[in-house]
Amino acid sequence: MWKGFIGKLSGKAPKSVGGGGGGWGSPPSKSPTSYGANGGQWDPMRSSPPLPVVAGAEGDTREDVFLRKVTVCCVLFDFSTDRVGRDSPERERKRQVLMSLVDCVGAAEEPLTEAMVSACVGMFAINLFRVFPPKVRPGAGGAAEADEDDPFFDPSWYHLQVVYELLLRFVMSPVVDVKVARKYVDNSFISRLLDLLDSDDPRERDCLKTVLHRIYGKFMGNRPFIRKAVSNIIYRFVSEDDHHNGIAELLEVFGSVISGFAKPLKEEHKLFLCKALIPLHKPKAVGMYLPQLTYCITQFIDKEPKLSGTVIRGLLKYWPVTNSQKEMMFLGELEEVLELTEMPEFQKCMVPLFRRVAHCLNSSHFQVAERALYLWNNEHVFNLISRNHQVILPIIYPALERNARLHWNQSVLNVTMNVRKMFFDMDQKLLLACQKKFQEEEEKQAESEERRRLIWEHLERNAAFHQVTGDISFSVVTKSAPLVAPTMT
Amino acid sequence: MAMVDEPLYPIAVLIDELKNEDIQLRLNSIRRLSTIARALGEERTRKELIPFLSENNDDEDEVLLAMAEELGVFIPYVGGVEHAHVLLPPLETLSTVEETCVRDKAVESLCRIGAQMKENDIVDFFIPVVKRLASGEWFTARVSSCGLFHIAYPSATDPLKTELRTIYGQLCQDDMPMVRRAAASNLGKFAATVEQSHLKTEIMSIFDDLTQDDQDSVRLLAVEGCAALGKLLEPQDCVAHILPVIVNFSQDKSWRVRYMVANQLYELCEAVGPEPTRADLVPAYVRLLRDNEAEVRIAAAGKVTKFCRILSPQLAIQHILPCVKELSSDSSQHVRSALASVIMGMAPVLGKDATIAELLPIFLSLLKDEFPDVRLNIISKLDQVNQVIGIDLLSQSLLPAIVELAEDRHWRVRLAIIEYIPLLASQLGVGFFDDKLGALCMQWLEDKVFSIREAAANNLKRLAEEFGPEWAMQHIIPQVLEKINNPHYLYRMTILQAISLLAPVMGADITCQKLLPVVINSSKDRVPNIKFNVAKVLQSLVPILDQSVVDKTVKPCLVELSEDPDVDVRYYANQALQACDQIMMSS
Repeated sequence: MWKGFIGKLSGKAPKSVGGGGGGWGSPPSKSPTSYGANGGQWDPMRSSPPLPVVAGAEGDTREDVFLRKVTVCCVLFDFSTDRVGRDSPERERKRQVLMSLVDCVGAAEEPLTEAMVSACVGMFAINLFRVFPPKVRPGAGGAAEADEDDPFFDPSWYHLQVVYELLLRFVMSPVVDVKVARKYVDNSFISRLLDLLDSDDPRERDCLKTVLHRIYGKFMGNRPFIRKAVSNIIYRFVSEDDHHNGIAELLEVFGSVISGFAKPLKEEHKLFLCKALIPLHKPKAVGMYLPQLTYCITQFIDKEPKLSGTVIRGLLKYWPVTNSQKEMMFLGELEEVLELTEMPEFQKCMVPLFRRVAHCLNSSHFQVAERALYLWNNEHVFNLISRNHQVILPIIYPALERNARLHWNQSVLNVTMNVRKMFFDMDQKLLLACQKKFQEEEEKQAESEERRRLIWEHLERNAAFHQVTGDISFSVVTKSAPLVAPTMT
Repeated sequence: MAMVDEPLYPIAVLIDELKNEDIQLRLNSIRRLSTIARALGEERTRKELIPFLSENNDDEDEVLLAMAEELGVFIPYVGGVEHAHVLLPPLETLSTVEETCVRDKAVESLCRIGAQMKENDIVDFFIPVVKRLASGEWFTARVSSCGLFHIAYPSATDPLKTELRTIYGQLCQDDMPMVRRAAASNLGKFAATVEQSHLKTEIMSIFDDLTQDDQDSVRLLAVEGCAALGKLLEPQDCVAHILPVIVNFSQDKSWRVRYMVANQLYELCEAVGPEPTRADLVPAYVRLLRDNEAEVRIAAAGKVTKFCRILSPQLAIQHILPCVKELSSDSSQHVRSALASVIMGMAPVLGKDATIAELLPIFLSLLKDEFPDVRLNIISKLDQVNQVIGIDLLSQSLLPAIVELAEDRHWRVRLAIIEYIPLLASQLGVGFFDDKLGALCMQWLEDKVFSIREAAANNLKRLAEEFGPEWAMQHIIPQVLEKINNPHYLYRMTILQAISLLAPVMGADITCQKLLPVVINSSKDRVPNIKFNVAKVLQSLVPILDQSVVDKTVKPCLVELSEDPDVDVRYYANQALQACDQIMMSS
């Protein structure tokens, strides 16, 4: 009867994966009550209608029954073509069997045998590892475009959800022996799990996040591999400009991984910060995962405060040029990092840092300018600035002055005046000196531009005297690039 | 100013500029690197400028990118090809940076320089660079090295060649997928420089490894190289090595891989010849045409005509045509659209009888497709069918399709059909056109969307060219001129535009008698925009008209406009007057 059921199942399922589990042939010889302590989970009354699995399992060993159930779950259903209704009995049964497995693993007291572990992992692979479908093209009418941001929900989630539940139980369960499981939850299994993080379905990514976290915790031997694989995903995402849905989830897992790193940090971990995390600021989708990224980064600085200089220089390297939204996020992160920054590190990078801040102060996007001005509201940052005002004020004075004269936004204007006042209270003499210098430079600006023009003209004339080695490509190359008018700084 | 007479140190200027806070100034100075080099002279450029650049590469990526680009064309400034090697060190450093754009540009420049270098210089200088990069500690260097082998290899000595092949093999098995991907995507280029004997052994084994990589992304790039490799091999080797791989790939579980196969299959057929194509590749292609994934079917459908061309008509009818029929009613509009864009080309392949019997029903059903793209694609290739079966069999269904497209609510669709009107006119002939399409062409002149009105005016010109001035005099000019009284000034403007386009086609007489009076009349319009457009149109008419007409009619009108209260009208009137004078002087 059991075989018949499976046969029927395979026959109807559009894609059936042959069950490789053994134990078909063993004739039922024991009564259902002989499950011993675990009998409770197998109670056929739990699932109605009664599962054929259990009915046919009469008298088998616990392993046999378990393997049979796992085999049932290896049959895949095609949810995309909705010919068989959602409630078709086979689908419903698979879900029931999956749920009974979840209960079984959750409540088991005896360790799972190797055959059971192997079958489980195989079943996970069959159910989970799939190739995601292409992105849906927008319809010609353009009506579909509005839905672009809507999350995608995988129709097969009805089964996947329980499979993930089981996987999570499996990974967390004390009855799964790490030594045995490691043979099956190997690098290739983990790497395929990581591939799944690109799923369009947020529910799936969320499950994966938890599972990966547990795997990292339980399978110590795989940790270096996981770190390497995650780095590779990030390198690809950053340097090959690829799309990836799961960066936020990956970073969330790594937030707690990083907080578990031992002090002093290993060189490998610092490399991860410099080569993977900091460059993650570059992609235009940074908004999707910035909170998680910032968390990871602050964890690093927490462990080793000296790293804040590296982080700040990294932020400056990837500072957005035209994207104001992103610029505000950067300012937010900068403030968080500065909070953790100690004086020696701050002093090492304050000059380039405040050149950048000066730019932000002058942004014609008022929110950017405002966000930059609010740095002064932070007590720690204010402290850092005030103790280095001899260096910082001369850098940002021109920006303050320009805002005071030209900024269109009233609120920016007001806050600028406040900041100016703060500096005035700090060091009146210096402020006045800066003011004087600014006025002088303003007067000299036209002159220095003229000077630059003349220098280049002179160079051009000198250059014209020298002939270059006769080369066919010469005529193409001699054209000098047009001078772009220097922008006001 | 005094400083101009001071002695000038070109490098000092550069150093000074590169210190500037303003990135635009730094960029400017890098963009003028050749000026500095010329001012320095070749020797000092080699000894001072280039070493300076090698050491100063911690600037922003944008500046580095500019530097990588400039150095690629710097050979003349360092003293010609024999000194080209001095340019390698700075570019070597640039090809290890983190930013992909900079690296790619540096590799491009290295290739450009390497391609000009002498053979022994390649051995002495270029190959060491390749080897250093290939063994670089960070993956960026190794990725860059993959793009240089095809330049280095041809000039290498035999032992060096062996070494280079070995290194490439190692790159293909690198620990980092990034490096393997770079190696996979450059394999075709490199293989093209390798001797046939090594190609069959070493390169093929590298290729085999890549096709079995556990990373989807690497395998994908390996498929991309399939066709390129296949073309390098002798046909029998291609059949032995590439064919099984591609047939295997055509059933890969990843739709991306299958998609890639669908794009490459045709080229591979060319490489293996007709017999293996029939035996192995046709079944693979048919599978792809019936793939579960629409993306794969789109790619496959787009190649259907090319594929049929290399098959015998009989095979095409037997194997491909049934799939084409299925695709013509595919559930995805994009599949149907891809099919529609090529299917007309099948007519010459299949011949007249098969086209009428088999293809015509498909054409007709696609012409009635609910998506305009599909219909447009059919119409755009009408000439191909016309040559085989004539247009008559289609014209019944064509007209409703055209009319519907002409009134489509998406202006881009209307624009597309206008673009095809001259083609249709030439295929359908004057008679058909006059009856059915003439009115549409006039209707577009009063479309709500500017681009459509603009295209409509242009269309009239092309029609006049197609059918000749006499026809245009009867069927276009009167209707167009009538519309100059439209109450909306934007529509009047379209008419002025149409006039200026039509005038050169119609010739001096008609322009003078019919068109000019209308334009002159419009100079009294109450809307300034019309008036300055009159000035513009008059300016464009001057070269066509007789001098006497210009003096008697055009100029007085322009003079009047040049005293208009509106500043723009005066401006364009003066422009036109100046143009009149210039033409007068030159004649």
